[in-house]
Amino acid sequence: MEEPGQDERYHQAAAEYGAALERLARAYEFDAERRRDLLQEIHLALWRSCAMFDGRCSLRTWVYRVAHNTAVSYGIGRRRSGDRNLVSLEEVESTMGDHDGDAAAGRRHVLAQLTQWIQALKPLDRQVILSYLEGMDAAAIAEITGLASGNVATKIHRIKNLLAKRFSQGAHHAE
Amino acid sequence: MPNEPDEIRNAWQTQPAEGITMSLEEIRRRASRFQRHVWWRNAREYLAIAVVVVVFGVYVQRIPTQMARVGSVMTMVGALYVAYQIHRRASSRTAPAGGALDHCLGFHRRQLERQRDALKSVWVWYLAPLVPGLAVFIAGTAIVAPIPFRYRLLTTGIMFAVVAVVFWLVAKLNKIGARRLQAKIDELRELEQ
Repeated sequence: MEEPGQDERYHQAAAEYGAALERLARAYEFDAERRRDLLQEIHLALWRSCAMFDGRCSLRTWVYRVAHNTAVSYGIGRRRSGDRNLVSLEEVESTMGDHDGDAAAGRRHVLAQLTQWIQALKPLDRQVILSYLEGMDAAAIAEITGLASGNVATKIHRIKNLLAKRFSQGAHHAE
Repeated sequence: MPNEPDEIRNAWQTQPAEGITMSLEEIRRRASRFQRHVWWRNAREYLAIAVVVVVFGVYVQRIPTQMARVGSVMTMVGALYVAYQIHRRASSRTAPAGGALDHCLGFHRRQLERQRDALKSVWVWYLAPLVPGLAVFIAGTAIVAPIPFRYRLLTTGIMFAVVAVVFWLVAKLNKIGARRLQAKIDELRELEQ
């Protein structure tokens, strides 16, 4: 069977992961105009990278690697400030209490809060939590991020605790 | 409680999307805009080199002392060497299209390593080639200044000191920057293990 070309591969990836890429861009960029710009950068990088796709990893892993790497480069290029003002999961865990009253205010509010919270995380932790939220398991997250699987497992454990403490009540009530 | 994070995951995955897509035509347009951007960035660097070459070329014609003329020619050669280095390195600075060939940590680490290497080596390929020419030029112009010898000596010394301090500062700042990047690189390497 003939392998799909660059354009076909891109179409397949965009059709399958377009919505996930939008969510990813939302988690990296607060401003709507810049978010659109970032999403276009991601699509451009994805199209260009599709010429090099060799099947050594799954298309999903490939797409997420391109998207995260482009988003991080975009952020560094725009801010020229590295990861200033960003926090790690460990720091969030040590400062965060149980969920507050706001968390019960509704699904949209919870998602807005969650997005804001992810935007404040350091890139690596952001990549882990986004992959987790997209339904990936520890092995898939390790393949995308390059973190050792033990590190991924620890981070997922933290993420679950934080989500349970902070957001789950709101998501539950909002259904 | 155990299922609650799953509800969050579900809420995340089912949030409404705007359905933003890009046609291949749009993508190609954006790709060529990126190429133009890279071309202009390189052109600006070459233009700066061209200005140096032209200015010192004029000095070669106008300055009466042999030593300053030799210094001007040496500076021009140094500037052309810098242009060659920019040309040689330009290809490695374009197109981050291979962003998926490695995982995110590896990609991020390599970006930092590239920045670190650039900071470490800028002194060698960007500044050092200009030093001999500038030194000879400064000495050559100071020699003929219509002032007493000791003032000539003093002026030359001050000019050398100013140039030396500027170059030292640039080298020092680059070294500090490279060291900071190295710390981040080491941190990332630990996470990969």
